[in-house]
Amino acid sequence: MSGTWITTRAWLLMLPLLIVMVAVIGWPLADTVHLSFTDAKLVGTSGSYVGFDNYVRLVTGNAFGRTLYTTTFFALVVVTTEMCLGVLAALLLKQQFRGRTLLRALMILPWALPTVVNATLWRLIYNPEYGALNAALTQLGILSDYRSWLGEPGTALTALIVADCWKNFPLVALIALAALQAVPRDVIAASYVDGANAFSRFRFVTLPYLAGPLMVALVLRTIEAFKVFDIIWVMTRGGPANSTRTMSILVYQEAFSFQRAGSGASLALIVTLIITVLAVAYGTAVRKVAGSAA
Amino acid sequence: MSALVVDKIRKSFGALETLRGIDIALESGEFLVLLGASGCGKSTLLNIIAGLAEPSGGDVRLDGRSLIGVHPKDRDIAMVFQSYALYPNLSVRRNIGFGLEMRKVPAAEREKAVLEAARLLQIEPLLDRRPSQLSGGQRQRVAIGRALVRHPKLFLFDEPLSNLDAKLRMEMRTELKRLHQMMKTTVVYVTHDQIEAMTLATRIAVMQGGQIEQLGTPEEIYNRPATLYVATFVGAPPMNLLDAVATGSGLQVVGSDTAIPLPPALAAALPRDHAVKLGIRPESFRAEGGGLPLTLTCDVTELTGPELILSGSIGGQRLVATLPPRTRAAPGETITLALDVEALHLFDVESGRRIEAA
Repeated sequence: MSGTWITTRAWLLMLPLLIVMVAVIGWPLADTVHLSFTDAKLVGTSGSYVGFDNYVRLVTGNAFGRTLYTTTFFALVVVTTEMCLGVLAALLLKQQFRGRTLLRALMILPWALPTVVNATLWRLIYNPEYGALNAALTQLGILSDYRSWLGEPGTALTALIVADCWKNFPLVALIALAALQAVPRDVIAASYVDGANAFSRFRFVTLPYLAGPLMVALVLRTIEAFKVFDIIWVMTRGGPANSTRTMSILVYQEAFSFQRAGSGASLALIVTLIITVLAVAYGTAVRKVAGSAA
Repeated sequence: MSALVVDKIRKSFGALETLRGIDIALESGEFLVLLGASGCGKSTLLNIIAGLAEPSGGDVRLDGRSLIGVHPKDRDIAMVFQSYALYPNLSVRRNIGFGLEMRKVPAAEREKAVLEAARLLQIEPLLDRRPSQLSGGQRQRVAIGRALVRHPKLFLFDEPLSNLDAKLRMEMRTELKRLHQMMKTTVVYVTHDQIEAMTLATRIAVMQGGQIEQLGTPEEIYNRPATLYVATFVGAPPMNLLDAVATGSGLQVVGSDTAIPLPPALAAALPRDHAVKLGIRPESFRAEGGGLPLTLTCDVTELTGPELILSGSIGGQRLVATLPPRTRAAPGETITLALDVEALHLFDVESGRRIEAA
């Protein structure tokens, strides 16, 4: 059997999948690219070619810069917190204690909840009139008056960050816990005999085994955090005063609220580009970490 | 004063008793091998000495100081693990020096000690590599280096050669013996490999079921096994055990008319008609020459090169003899071999204990 035939057959076998992928990914992407160079509206006009006008207007407008800043800030804080909390939780859940299995199962719960349920739950907690947070803080004497956590630009983003961390740190914890199981017991024992304290043991013995899996968690969470939409949409819709507006919210507003399909498409492509750059950078980093740990 | 004393050490996991009162006293500079099949409790005992497991009862003393409740790092011991247990992201240099680094030994002093250990183990060119860039044998040298560098009072080895291939294992065995002769530090070494035990140990503790079956020099273990278990565990091929009955002046092998005269002192220790296990090491047979003649039916012969392994039977009881390679023996034929009466071992059938001359 010749090599050409094997190659041809391989392509033939992949053809059905390729057709599906072109239909559901390739074509919409191409259409979005086309759309982004027009001034099309969501309904009615299919628009005319405007060149790079959409891009220039968006990037030079003040909404873009501010939204990019908000998104980056959100992603940075959320991912850092989740990584730290996740590793800490994993280290705790690795210990031997009564009820460990139950606690491990409970920990997954926030992550297992649908985002909309989670978001609704936190809206109730933050509720300015009967929310649990206000009640708890006033009863503890920390707060004198009830506050509208999601209604004030100063606190809304922080409130969202807390909600998102609560939902997503279990994923990091789960990955870290799995990685912890892979740390050889002998190496841990050796570090005891060598006289390493808890910190040194984590730094020199445990962390190297966590690095690869944590890198994967970092990539997943950064990309997800950067394109966050649902939790914000349910809790604040980007408000108040656009203080919690992230890139995905901006895309939605542009394309659907303001019905500007053309510039909405341009914005979506910019977000896609940023995420692609992040993904490639992280991919390289993952390969590097995995390579050095092998 | 003994360097290491293991005093009535017991360990239970729930109802399961893995160590049932272990007593060992080691002189300084001794090389003790804990030998036994997996599950005999030898690794548990080592972990208790290391401080990686707490005993349920008893005491461990090193130079007179009790180690119970003392953190592993404060016991003045070093341990080498079967899996090497190197720190994967640290260089060989830092792996070896890690214990010193954690004890805040100044960098210059540390470097000197690391170099010295590396020179001793001939791994100087590898100092800047990562463990992943080393072969199994090299990793084991690094693991040994990590133990050497601290000059501990006691070395613990947990099956250190088990992960190496046969050739490398022999090389490292010799190397370990050379190191011990040079350093003269007390060693406790766990293995299930009887050759390692015989070659390395100054004393061997054969363990079974959480107890010490016999504690003695390699010669004692091999020449005068205290129990049936020790007799069959040490030696390859294992010792032959034949059912026999005392006749007053000697033994009668069950199922045959083969009579074996015994030295009077030994025969006197046996009441008439007493059932015993007669132990004969395969290497105690000779193809010719003086000694007690023993006729057996040859079944299979295997030539290994330096020797011929003959499997046969006496009165239906299976028997193995290792003979010179040029011995003429054909399957199905009978062959008469010579046996040294001094090399016979007798064991009580019920207790499994060795029967000594009265």
